[in-house]
Amino acid sequence: MDVQAIIDECMELWRDPYPHLARLRDEGQKPMAVFCSYTPEEIIHAAGFTPVRLMGSVRTITHADAHLQAYCCSLARTDLDMALAGELDYLEGAVFVQTCDTMMRLSDIWRRNTDFPFHGDLVLPIRMGEEVSLPFLEEEVRRFRHSVEEYTGESIWDDALEESIHIYNRNRRLADRLYKLRASSPGAIDGLSATAVVTAGFWMRREKHNEMLHELLEGLDTGKAAGNGKTPLFVSGSTCTTPDLMELLMELGAEVVDDDLCSGHRYFDNYVDEADTPEEALARRMWGRINCPAKHQCIEDRAEHMLRQVQDSGARGVVFFLQSFCEPHLFDVPYLRERLQDELDVPSLVLETELQSFSRGQLRTRLQAFIETISGV
Amino acid sequence: MGEDNARAADKERRRIKSADTMRDMMVKYYTEAKGAEGTGRHIAWITSGAPVEPLIAFDVIPVYPENHGAMCGASHMNVELCEVAEGRGFSRDLCSYARGDIGSAMTKGGPIGGLPRPTFLVACNNICNTVFKWYEELARFFDVPLFIYDTPFVRGDLPRHIADYALRQMEEYMGFLEEVTGRPYDEPHFVEVAAKSLFASALWKDVLACNEHKPAPMTCFDAFIMMAPIVTLRGTQEVVDFYQGLLDEMKQRIDEGIGILPSERYRLIWDNIPVWYEMRNLGRLFMELETCLVADTYTSAWTFEGVDVDKPLQSMSKIYTEVYLNINLERMADKIESLATRYGVDGMLMHSNRSCKPYSLGQYDLAREFAKRTGKPALIIEADHTDSRWYDRAQVENRIRDFVENLLGESVSV
Ligand code: SF4
Ligand code: SF4
Repeated sequence: MDVQAIIDECMELWRDPYPHLARLRDEGQKPMAVFCSYTPEEIIHAAGFTPVRLMGSVRTITHADAHLQAYCCSLARTDLDMALAGELDYLEGAVFVQTCDTMMRLSDIWRRNTDFPFHGDLVLPIRMGEEVSLPFLEEEVRRFRHSVEEYTGESIWDDALEESIHIYNRNRRLADRLYKLRASSPGAIDGLSATAVVTAGFWMRREKHNEMLHELLEGLDTGKAAGNGKTPLFVSGSTCTTPDLMELLMELGAEVVDDDLCSGHRYFDNYVDEADTPEEALARRMWGRINCPAKHQCIEDRAEHMLRQVQDSGARGVVFFLQSFCEPHLFDVPYLRERLQDELDVPSLVLETELQSFSRGQLRTRLQAFIETISGV
Repeated sequence: MGEDNARAADKERRRIKSADTMRDMMVKYYTEAKGAEGTGRHIAWITSGAPVEPLIAFDVIPVYPENHGAMCGASHMNVELCEVAEGRGFSRDLCSYARGDIGSAMTKGGPIGGLPRPTFLVACNNICNTVFKWYEELARFFDVPLFIYDTPFVRGDLPRHIADYALRQMEEYMGFLEEVTGRPYDEPHFVEVAAKSLFASALWKDVLACNEHKPAPMTCFDAFIMMAPIVTLRGTQEVVDFYQGLLDEMKQRIDEGIGILPSERYRLIWDNIPVWYEMRNLGRLFMELETCLVADTYTSAWTFEGVDVDKPLQSMSKIYTEVYLNINLERMADKIESLATRYGVDGMLMHSNRSCKPYSLGQYDLAREFAKRTGKPALIIEADHTDSRWYDRAQVENRIRDFVENLLGESVSV
């Protein structure tokens, strides 16, 4: 496949991954839904399932209203709506990770009202990076592995798990290379395409995604002139569920140079140590990860990390792209904005959206004004 | 004229006298806490679900932003405080206790001129994950240490590794307190405090159980007010004495056949935090509808069970991890069902509280489960515990009226 074909395929997936997910079943795969980047996908992968990330959809809620109030995030609401509508019947099951209060309750609601064969729960500590929580976290990973094994009736061999860890680590390394490349030679690949390629990985087997990334990296013309005169921006938030935001930014003459999205940079940050025993190593990665506002970070302050990332990327503005009602993210906004402004002199813009009522027009006006201010037009 | 006098006398007869004692106790507590600011005594801001006994044992004054939030709500001052926090960039969709508290910290606003400055903070996420984000912000604002007591969510029985993690943190908590206060952990003293706390909570449980009697000697609106000491100061002798007095009063009312309402026709369970700014109006409405809110899921959160005095830290860590909001929907349904049976209710009223997700998400499923298990109906009303901007009084009152009127007929679907 040539570079453009890869990018096009990824864009298509990002626009609407669901028809493709339905086809996975026909191809003999067993898709298992995950919602959060704290999920130890390696375990699911090693057990023979294909972890796929549910990132909501642009739709009118019809079934979920009987279970979830309107004051919770649109990811939870639209994901549940699809499940209740029977549109996700090809799933083997879903794995819930305790991050925010919405996810904690969603797991129960989902379990009670759907009948997928498998339901998994992972209860994580909120105190990450502190000695006291590591043994608990390790045990939780072990428990999760057992629950998957119990379900399949077969044990997951350490060999298989190590192999999966290796595949996921390779994926992280390739994604990281792509992100570095887009920063160092923006002429080679634009922000929209780079994000699309990373995001699309959520809906395919990692082996395939690795091949794709590999081909892409080989095929990119890194010699192309850098500096396209676009305004460099950083995007912060949980997930960009559709390409809309990034497309808009491109149209408006901006270039996304880095992000801390849960479906982007935060997802592939840090590796699993292949020298440790698998559970310990998986636990350690989660525990040492930085930057998720749903966890209390003690190793390194979230702001420090973000400030460094923004500075390194050369971004001149930060766009916070947030789900309405998403508490962990919304709580951090005032503080992060202040520090960006005071310490780096980098202005920021906060956009809150809901998938069910996404308005491109409104976003456009606000983004345009923001980009004009920072580029001094 | 004579009729008026009789009505006044009847009202006085029904009034709960311990309320005066409680008011005095809370005024004294807040005066002391405010007076301690800047004196070298330690003041800790703490979440309502966090273990407070260690603070009492270490002679630290515990201060509860949530109790203060309720006060700000009841005195209709919280919206103003929320707006201050919103001006700083906090979304209107975040918990209004948190917004109001941040606003009050910034301006010293509210009915008592703000809370005294903390020397450290204690947050426990057994009630929600909002609290640790909120306390992170307070820790930055006041630049003081924060101890997080992390209680992972419990589905089914308490798993061993969660119990271990909770216990390790309880030990760590003691170490933290030794460090900030410069005093050593004194186990016998801690056990003494813990015993008082448990004793007070047992009394509180008995007080609430008095409402199993028909007519009920109080409503859960009274319980919301009377719970302040068990939340804020459990572990002191004063609180034990207060609840003993309250229990005696309740028993006496039962003996004398005094109900809180002049006429009690229906009995309901209340679910979720009160709508603090509407207590008066709702109280009036229920009186008119001859409906008594006899039990609730909120105040009973402070009745502890299953304690082993030989293992104080272990017992405490278990109690604090398995609180009502930190368990799965099935376990919550069990608790509600048990309330329904014990209190002999006709239905349940659920406050879908925009501020509080762990309390509110899942209510639709709980309502159905309740109807299924008890054959009684449930009604869900929309509000926010202290942000009145989300409240539509006419609509809520109409729905409650319809609901109660329908209790006459067969069970209503939810
Ligand atoms: S973290 Fe935010 S976006 Fe994600 S499920 Fe929770 S509330 Fe929704
Ligand atoms: S979200 Fe609920 S439990 Fe948490 S602080 Fe607010 S009211 Fe309390």
